[in-house]
Amino acid sequence: MPHHYQKPYSLASALVLGFLLGAGSLPAWSAPMTFNTALPVAEGEFITRIQGVRRQSGDDPSSADRDLTVNALVTVLGYGATPKLALFGVLPYLDKELRLTNEGQRVRRSKEGFGDLRLFGRYTVFQQDQPGRTFRLAPFAGIEAPTGEDDASDALGRLPPPFQLGSGSWDLFGGLVLTHQTLDDQIDSQLSVRFNNEANGFEAGDEARWDLSWQHRVWPRDLKGGVPGFLYGVLESNLVYQGKNEVNGIKDVNSGGTTLFLAPGLQYVTKRWIAETAIQLPVIQDLNGTALENDYIFRAGIRFNF
Amino acid sequence: MKKSLIAIALALLWSTAWSAPREYQVHVDGLACPFCAYGIEKSFSKQAGVKEVETDIQAGLVRVVMEEDASLSEEQARKAVKAAGFSLRSFNETVEGN
Repeated sequence: MPHHYQKPYSLASALVLGFLLGAGSLPAWSAPMTFNTALPVAEGEFITRIQGVRRQSGDDPSSADRDLTVNALVTVLGYGATPKLALFGVLPYLDKELRLTNEGQRVRRSKEGFGDLRLFGRYTVFQQDQPGRTFRLAPFAGIEAPTGEDDASDALGRLPPPFQLGSGSWDLFGGLVLTHQTLDDQIDSQLSVRFNNEANGFEAGDEARWDLSWQHRVWPRDLKGGVPGFLYGVLESNLVYQGKNEVNGIKDVNSGGTTLFLAPGLQYVTKRWIAETAIQLPVIQDLNGTALENDYIFRAGIRFNF
Repeated sequence: MKKSLIAIALALLWSTAWSAPREYQVHVDGLACPFCAYGIEKSFSKQAGVKEVETDIQAGLVRVVMEEDASLSEEQARKAVKAAGFSLRSFNETVEGN
C-alpha cells in the first residue's frame, strides 16, 4: 500500500531532494570537489574519499518560514578494475533537520542515518598523454540502490518522501566527463543526467547538470624536482536543472527548477592524501513556485591513496 | 704470481660492477599531479626485484632502482606505466652512482 505524500511538506521537497542529488554527485575520485573527473585509478588499487557537506536553506518565500539544514558525511571508495575502468561506491550518512511553522506552531522534524548507496563505473574512451599533461574523456553510468530508510516516522507522523533518508526507488544516472590536466592547471567538465523512479507514491523530478572546474597551482610557484605538495586554487560551477516532483502521479508545482552555483575553494594535494574545502554559492536560482532556495553548501574533505 | 693477483683484482672489479644494482629511468607521459604519482610508484613497486622508486613530476621521470641481480625489462615498465593509467615515453638503463 503506497504511503501518501503530505502536502504541507511538499514545499521543502525540492530542496531536500536537491540536496540528495547534489550529495550523490560528489566526486568519487577527482580533482574537482563537486563532481567527477576522468583521471585514472591505478589498476588493482583502491582510493577513498570522505567529504563533509553542510547545506543550509532558510530564506523561505512561503508563510511556513522553513529552515532546513542537512549535514552529510559522504564516503567514496574507488577501485581500478583495469587501467581504463574504475568502479565506485558512494555511501552518505545524513543528518537532516527541518524547522517550519505549521498551523501556527513552530515544529521541528529530523532524521539521521545512512542514505542510498550509489554504485557506478567509469570507462576512459579517449586518452592523450604528453609530457606533463593529459587529456581524457570518460563516460560513466550507475545506479542508486534504495539502502536508506524510506518509511521513517516521528511524532508528527510519517516523514514526507523527500525527507526520508532513502528514496525507496532504484534510480539511474550517467554522463560524460572530460579532464585536461597540466602541471599548472586542470580543467574538468561533466554533463550528466539522472532518472528517478517512483516509490511510495512519490517520484522525484529527473535531473540534468553541467559542471565545470578550474584548478590552478598557486604553490609552489616553481617545481624543483621530486613530488612536492601542490596547493591549488579552485573555482567550480554547477548548473543544475531538476524537473518537478510527482506526488501520486500529479506534478508538484512547488518543486524543481534551475540553480547555478559558483564554488571557490582550496585544495592541497600530496602523493598519499588530499585535503580540500569549497563553498557553493547560488548565484542564480530559478525555482518553481515556493520551492525553498539554497543559502550555501559547504564542503570539506580528505582523500587517501591506499 | 703478479699475473694471478691482477687477474683476481680484475675479477673482483668485474664482479662488483656486475652485481651493482641496476637503475632505470622511465619517462612517463600524462603525469601531472602528485596524487597520480603515487599510483605509478606503487605500480612499479609491485614488479619483482624493485628496491626503490622515485618520481620527478616536473620531468615526468620515474627512477627505478632494482635489488642486486634483478632487472627490469622495457615491457615490464610499459605494463607498469599502463596499469597506473599513463603512457610510456622512453625507457633507459643506467648504473647506480652514474
